[in-house]
Amino acid sequence: MKSLLRLALAAGLLLTGTLGASAAASSKLVVAFLPKSKGNAYFISCKAGAEKAAKELGVELLFDGPTDSNAAKQNEIVENWITLGVDVIAVAAENKEGISTALRKAQKAGIKVVTYDADSMPDSRSFFVNQATPEGIGHALMDDAARLLNGEGEFAIITASLTAANQREWQKHIEARLKEKYPKMKIVAVRPCDDLKDKAQSEATALMSANPNLKLIMAICSPGVPGAAEAVKQAGKTGKVKVIGLGLPNENKRYVHEGVTDTVILWNTGDLGYLTIYAGVALAKGELKPGAKSFKAGTLGTFAIAGDHILLGKPFAFNKGNIDQFNF
Amino acid sequence: MNDSGTRDWKSLLLRHEMLLLYVLVAEWLFFYFAGTTTNRRGVIVGFGTVDRQFDILRHSCEIGLLALALTPVILTAGIDLSVGSLLGLCAILFGKFWHDAGMAIPVAAALALACGALGGALNATLITALRLPPLIVTLGTYSLFRGLAEAITRGAITYTDFPAGFLFVGQERWLGLPTQAWIFFLVASGVWVLVHRTTFGRSFRAIGFAPEGARYAGLPVERRLALAYVLAGLIAALAAIIYTARLGQAKADAGTGYELFAITAVVLGGTSIFGGTGSVHGTLLGVAAIAVLKNGLACLPVVMRMNAAEEMSGLLTGALLLLALTGSVLPRLWSQWRAHRSAAALPSPKPHTPT
Repeated sequence: MKSLLRLALAAGLLLTGTLGASAAASSKLVVAFLPKSKGNAYFISCKAGAEKAAKELGVELLFDGPTDSNAAKQNEIVENWITLGVDVIAVAAENKEGISTALRKAQKAGIKVVTYDADSMPDSRSFFVNQATPEGIGHALMDDAARLLNGEGEFAIITASLTAANQREWQKHIEARLKEKYPKMKIVAVRPCDDLKDKAQSEATALMSANPNLKLIMAICSPGVPGAAEAVKQAGKTGKVKVIGLGLPNENKRYVHEGVTDTVILWNTGDLGYLTIYAGVALAKGELKPGAKSFKAGTLGTFAIAGDHILLGKPFAFNKGNIDQFNF
Repeated sequence: MNDSGTRDWKSLLLRHEMLLLYVLVAEWLFFYFAGTTTNRRGVIVGFGTVDRQFDILRHSCEIGLLALALTPVILTAGIDLSVGSLLGLCAILFGKFWHDAGMAIPVAAALALACGALGGALNATLITALRLPPLIVTLGTYSLFRGLAEAITRGAITYTDFPAGFLFVGQERWLGLPTQAWIFFLVASGVWVLVHRTTFGRSFRAIGFAPEGARYAGLPVERRLALAYVLAGLIAALAAIIYTARLGQAKADAGTGYELFAITAVVLGGTSIFGGTGSVHGTLLGVAAIAVLKNGLACLPVVMRMNAAEEMSGLLTGALLLLALTGSVLPRLWSQWRAHRSAAALPSPKPHTPT
């Protein structure tokens, strides 16, 4: 019995030694990267960019997050990182206020905090890496529509709901751009799809029969894009009525290859991760300070800073030529 | 016979709770040595910091409360799968009372506690009046409570912006410890006294051993069972308020899966799932063993590099439970084997050894 105990103790100590040793070796800057959920392909593609940046900068990257989008677990992970004494924490907040208490605690402990994708309360982080401004999205969509129609003709918008804050903001910028640059184009209708693909499809079908001169459907919520594309395809109007919108590459790949959908607009998620890590590390090294007007991030070049938002810049257009390189 | 003194001493050391205490100490020491390091700036970080110990305490309060709530229930050979969902529902109701109905925090909290007790009473009524099995009843209310929470918020509303005075309960320290730890210890003492020092506790065990026997002995079985479930509901509501204060938000998914961690802690603590035996201090040790394991793993550099703290803690919690269960039957098998061998006298050819 006693010898068994001694054996167990010895084994335990040995294991302790081997596991502990690797930690002390880390004299690199440690950057912790928190997604909303770690299985989500969107965040995995952010992580790929983050890893590239970490490698270039010679820092250690920790990537952990809830297996499902769980605000409580995000807090626990951040609190864990605080006691682990990481140098930088980069967070995509699942819950704006919930995460902020943990982030303030991190800042108190001397850890630099940046947010990306979804912001926390402004006092709980130094910078928010903003993937797309409403203006950027509105202009990209409108410009793309004008490019496809040669600046002339009728089009319709499918939105999430007529009250959704994000969509209304985007729509405002689309309309402003239209007024300013494309006087020969006209929005004939704005229809809500309640963030449902089926509803978007029936709305698109109705739009096409009510407006025979309709040249293009612009969907500004992600289920709307494949929904509208399916309607156009079933109506046999592929190419006659073009589809563009704001969405994820994967759910639109099929329609893009079939030529139903021309462009899907979003941002380059890899670049988002890359820029976030660069910003966090520069912050920790004291190279990036509050009030800065621009910031240079490795091979991606220089980014503008508006207030405490680092702007990723122009949205990214996924089309037939590049959509297969993305998986989310 | 003459060495009965040492026997007692030995059996005390081999009691389940003591074994669990050894495991807990071993766990803690292991993580202390393997999970503590000095970082780049020369600060000691990781498991061996005071902050980390407070984090462990803070993170185990809600599951700890649910485990305390479940101990009397499981002692009666019952089960309550609905406590995690009830936590979610009470968190939402608390948020709604405060935010939408404009009630003061104490009033909203008191009402939320009342709702928790009502939820427990629903379980109790179905179990005692209709004599339905607790597993099925609480499986039903498990979905019902969560569904209600989601329906009330339509899955979208999150209540936030709670006043600092309330967040103090979940995020700050009072008299040196995380505030909610004091509440947890208070409830733990209360449940301990109830289970170990009152006739209620004795009747919970009696019902767990033999409900019919308890009934013939004149125990008010239905009333005692009802008490256990109502108490569980009440404590779940308290856990909901602490959860809300810790995160500063009330959302319909609050406490998802907590019931399983709580049941694991209770069973790990030596309470028989068939009822009749168990202890509150065992439950507390079970909660601590799981919390230390979960938090400690996240400090190990190896686990960190794999980004797999959550998965590993799930895996090892399961392994720990199975190990504890195996460990708890080993002494019995051992003595059976010894008795068998001495009974068979000398050359028993093949004794039935376990495993």
